[in-house]
Amino acid sequence: MNVLLFDYGTGNLHSLGKALELQGARVRTGTAVEAADALVLPGVGAFGAAAARLAAHRYAVRDAVAAGLPVLGICLGMQLLLDGSAEGEGSGLGLVPGSVRRLVAGRVPHMGWNVVRAATNHGPGEPLLRGIDGERFYFANSFAADPADPAAVTATVTHDGDGFPAAIRWGSAAGVQFHPEKSGAAGLRLLRNFLEVCR
Amino acid sequence: MLAKRVVVCLDVDGGRVVKGTRFRDLRDVGDPAALAERYEAEAADEVVFLDISASVQGRATTLDVVSRTARRLFIPLTVGGGIGSRKDVGRALRAGADKVALNTGAVRRPDLITRAAEHYGAQCVVVSIDADRDPAMPSGYRVFTHGGRRPTELDAVEWAARCAGLGAGEILVTAIHSDGARHGFDLDLTRRVADAVTVPVIASGGAGEPAHFVHALTAGRADAALAAGVFHDGVLQVADVKAAIDAAALPVRPAGLPFRSTEA
Repeated sequence: MNVLLFDYGTGNLHSLGKALELQGARVRTGTAVEAADALVLPGVGAFGAAAARLAAHRYAVRDAVAAGLPVLGICLGMQLLLDGSAEGEGSGLGLVPGSVRRLVAGRVPHMGWNVVRAATNHGPGEPLLRGIDGERFYFANSFAADPADPAAVTATVTHDGDGFPAAIRWGSAAGVQFHPEKSGAAGLRLLRNFLEVCR
Repeated sequence: MLAKRVVVCLDVDGGRVVKGTRFRDLRDVGDPAALAERYEAEAADEVVFLDISASVQGRATTLDVVSRTARRLFIPLTVGGGIGSRKDVGRALRAGADKVALNTGAVRRPDLITRAAEHYGAQCVVVSIDADRDPAMPSGYRVFTHGGRRPTELDAVEWAARCAGLGAGEILVTAIHSDGARHGFDLDLTRRVADAVTVPVIASGGAGEPAHFVHALTAGRADAALAAGVFHDGVLQVADVKAAIDAAALPVRPAGLPFRSTEA
């Protein structure tokens, strides 16, 4: 399994790369989607800066995903799957219809370990959460995905009364708002689930 | 509901984790990478790596040690000490930090907070504030820099609010006068800071027993509580602290139970 870890040129990619390798993936860091079996959009940086970095590759990524390339967006990477964000300028990938909104909660950023539950309206359930539904995962976000179709929301989380998507899925695009690479054993299991789904 | 966090701090000097009382009399307690790995296994929620002499010696953080520590860690790692520019922030993140802690660098150049938050996101910018009692200040607490050695003209609570306004995603507040004494966190300072900001607050300085963490998270209104020496010495286990937080009916990520959650 060749996984392309998309590089926006900001922040820390190696904990994610190392976590994927530990689950058996061959990881390449870069921007060229050709020859990848799966794409991971990591969650570092601010939306505007990442969208600007992504702009040159937007169509290549969209075409590859439309052709069936599985993609996992993590945190900001998940937010980039949508059309745009209240956080900053620039376009997302538009792979999941909808936008990104600011959290409405007493304490923002939403920082720490929170309980993720699979949405009950999905028959087979979110495959990424197999064996770990109801676990705590590590979040660090001030913004949240707001998909146009609620059917895209495959797991939820609540902070200070504000409920928002913990995971989304639309076609071959999936995203998680939390950081599996920073969520201990449960997070590593999620990455293993992703690689299994891609096989 | 978010779990209350138990954070373990590694005070690093010359590539080794050291321990002292009231920021002085340092002694060696081990290798940062090995200790970080141990604390992850013991269910610590986060690890903070503080290069405690970087600011004092006027040099950048020892990134090779950060990198070696990050390599084995699958929980969040915050790196601080000697971070004085946006480039330093980028270097720490690339070395494997998930968040950076700005302290002396933020006091010297408050716009660094904003610039780092705009580029890397507020969630990775922690401002670390070392405060000591001082009746001359409006809140009763003065900010110190350079590892707690140098007084500033800043009021600790006002500075915390200003940092949050400038874009800090989290405030780590250390009571210098409590640090290492093990008589408990300064709940008054912690609560004042927590009430002055809407970003998460980490209490630090003074942990000696599990109940102290509970107090910081209840009366102190902190979102997380940090300790170093008590864990390194084995006086406290992370699991015991978590059990006390759970017994106080606060949400917590349980220790020693992978793939199980206590919350219904």
